[in-house]
Amino acid sequence: MSNIFSGINARLRGTSNKPASTKSPISPTSDDGRLNSSGGLSQKSHSSASLSSKLPPLPASPSLSQTITMTGSGEDILTSYHLPRPLPLWLNPAYARHIVKGNFMTLSARPKTVEPGEWIAHHVVEHYRNLWNFVRVIYEKEEDGTSICNPTTCPKMSAGTNHSYTWLNSRFEPIELPAIEYIALMQRWISGKIDDTKIFPTEPSGVSFAANPNIGNSTLLSGTDEWIGKRSGFPKDFSSICQTIFLQMFRVYAHLYWAHFTEPFYHLNLEKQLNSCFSHFVLTATALDMLKPPALEPMQPLIDLWAANGTFPPESKAYEYANLNAGNRLLQMAGMA
Amino acid sequence: MNVPEFSSAPEKYPARYGPRANRNQERCFQIAQSFFKNGVARTKARYERWKELEERLQDPALQPKREELYMQLRMSESKYLRFLRTKESLSNYTPIKTIGKGYAGEVKLVRRKQDGRVYALKRLVKTEMMSHEQLARVRAERDALAEADSDWVVKLYTTFQDNMSLYLLMEYLPGGDLMALLIKYQIFSEDVTRFYAAEMVLAIEAIHRLGFIHRDIKPDNILIDRHGHIKLANFGLSKGFRGDRSNGRYKENQRPGPSDNQKRNSVNIDEISLTVSNRPQINIWRHCRKVLAYSTVGTPDYVAPELFTGRGYSFEIDWWSLGTILYECLVGWPPFASEAAYDTYTKIINWRESFIFPDDVQLHPNSIGLVKSLVCDQETRLGRHGADEIKAHPFFAGVDFGTLRHVRAPFQPGLTSDVDTSYFPVEDLPQTEEFSPPAAAAGHLANGATDDPLKPDMSLPLIDYTFRRFEKSFM
Ligand SMILES: Nc1ncnc2c1ncn2[C@@H]1O[C@H](COP(=O)(O)OP(=O)(O)O)[C@@H](O)[C@H]1O
Ligand SMILES: [Mg+2]
Ligand SMILES: [Zn+2]
Repeated sequence: MSNIFSGINARLRGTSNKPASTKSPISPTSDDGRLNSSGGLSQKSHSSASLSSKLPPLPASPSLSQTITMTGSGEDILTSYHLPRPLPLWLNPAYARHIVKGNFMTLSARPKTVEPGEWIAHHVVEHYRNLWNFVRVIYEKEEDGTSICNPTTCPKMSAGTNHSYTWLNSRFEPIELPAIEYIALMQRWISGKIDDTKIFPTEPSGVSFAANPNIGNSTLLSGTDEWIGKRSGFPKDFSSICQTIFLQMFRVYAHLYWAHFTEPFYHLNLEKQLNSCFSHFVLTATALDMLKPPALEPMQPLIDLWAANGTFPPESKAYEYANLNAGNRLLQMAGMA
Repeated sequence: MNVPEFSSAPEKYPARYGPRANRNQERCFQIAQSFFKNGVARTKARYERWKELEERLQDPALQPKREELYMQLRMSESKYLRFLRTKESLSNYTPIKTIGKGYAGEVKLVRRKQDGRVYALKRLVKTEMMSHEQLARVRAERDALAEADSDWVVKLYTTFQDNMSLYLLMEYLPGGDLMALLIKYQIFSEDVTRFYAAEMVLAIEAIHRLGFIHRDIKPDNILIDRHGHIKLANFGLSKGFRGDRSNGRYKENQRPGPSDNQKRNSVNIDEISLTVSNRPQINIWRHCRKVLAYSTVGTPDYVAPELFTGRGYSFEIDWWSLGTILYECLVGWPPFASEAAYDTYTKIINWRESFIFPDDVQLHPNSIGLVKSLVCDQETRLGRHGADEIKAHPFFAGVDFGTLRHVRAPFQPGLTSDVDTSYFPVEDLPQTEEFSPPAAAAGHLANGATDDPLKPDMSLPLIDYTFRRFEKSFM
């Protein structure tokens, strides 16, 4: 395992003692603690006070929300997930490891100097490239015309037996497709969006930072005439398009885990790579409010495990969405608690 | 409990999957690795830019400009992120003229449609470099240029690829190269030579400090910027050591020496005897030189003997090349010039006998002394303990190395526009509107690479080829 984060963490720690701007020079009030969670790279100290605004059904206090989600024993919660027994290989902590160590939030926390729209756009594109790097392995055909994911192995786009996804056809009717066809359609759809410079502008002269300092979070903006990236030329529906892209990418990841973790990724020695890319994906998508708990469901136990084993730092949103008891129970089952 | 907690892990068995899957495995493995590596590097750099601004703002005089400076940094960060997202392709550029041609590719002056800026775009055709060694060259060039951020190295802005080719987008250096200057002036005075020599010392020192051996220092790889100062280009043969000089000695023999068959043909070391009084012959030689530069073989004229003998080499091979170039500046041709490359090889290997200064060339003893201390055995070569020992040579007496890049250069290109190519042999190069078509048709490139997901595989050394530099010009 290469600790590629260690250098940067050490450095950031080293400099954070300096009088690092306690007040942001540009947008003193923009640090709502979410998109901006670490208030720049060096500080890990954001409070989760704004949790209430993201999760209306939960009580406002973060500690209270934790008590609520943690009432059941780890075993009870795992049972409530209706997981197959024995548990899938990827829930075994021994196979939930990474190619990198250190604080993944280093890569997803929005730096003070970056405009929120650009930051989201950047991550959409990066994660898309990353994900398709794995998809390619199961998607591409050998000389004999077979691919690892095919209509026989995966007749439905599913994430285990409890979750399957349908595609909307041109008449907006949900249709069930073999996973490989679903993935191909989605690839076309996502790249259509990403390549559309009206949605993802690339014109350097279009950038602007005369932004409303309060813009930093999609949920704060509902009902106003402001939106993320407005002044830089991102369209009004930019945020919702990105949410859909993240959701679709999540589904593909979920399929990779549920249907292909062992075959082929484990056999091909790519399970750590997959884990690192997926955990970074979850951290980013949740930090940017692009993915919310109900959608995370098929992968909830892995999220629980990563919160418990330290992959997700306590200040991250992914950690808040996790159930520590369930994660600790998984560690215990593997004799690692 | 009779059921195990977790599914049991089968024995790993990658061979159960086909060749395509296994190829994708390698690529996936590497891309994931470099994704995190690059991500961390960019995060770090971004953070440092911010810290740098914070530090500047400690100056109370800058307080009134605080907002503005922050705004500027934010804008440039945005531009950089947009640049990262932009799909690069040849169609983003309007070709203007072919300005260079050499190993596996050509260099064109182009204008970027988006911002109207002028760049030099080097294309390497994939079919022309199918061997692993050639791919490694392309990789080496990209890595060295991407890593180097020095006034002495041509700036690489971005790299990209399509099914046919790899592209390096560089700053355009309008002054041509040192070869063109030598063709034009034939010889330099000792003062002029001193200027270029001193700049080359600094340039080579700079890349060595970055941990690279260039291995291909020669006049056509020394480019001249708009003010007449030099920059090194063409890092295709360079070797990186990531700053670790201690075990930076390479044992492999990278360059082919002459075959036995060729050796038999090259008994006469002094086949062409060039003297200053022999101008027409110099020009014949120069003509051959130019032709050689455009061929894939390249010229061995400037290569140190240890590269052929396989005894191992290190940073000092670049100092040998410097010596041969100085000789050429002063004498008019390089010391081992021959009609045929294999004769040159033989002369280099037998440099103890073949290396002589012509009698009829009048040179200061310091000039001869410096060249002789560079064109010599690697164990005694000046520079093996670092560039300072070269700088201390009496030939450089009075040179202020610290300010060199800021003094007036002896030759300053007079330019009429941003697309002035008068210092390039454009009339000798095939001028095609588009890049000239590669030798093989696109159909041969079933495995051609693009950065597009779901597109066919690419060869391993080209994974993560794409590079994007954060530019001050974003500011
Ligand atoms: N950035 C540049 N600006 C101007 N001319 C260049 C630039 N890069 C290359 N050239 C010209 O093109 C020639 C060939 O480029 P080079 O990078 O040396 O490739 P090769 O591997 O083909 O020798 C150089 O000798 C020089 O004349
Ligand atoms: Mg060259
Ligand atoms: Zn499948």
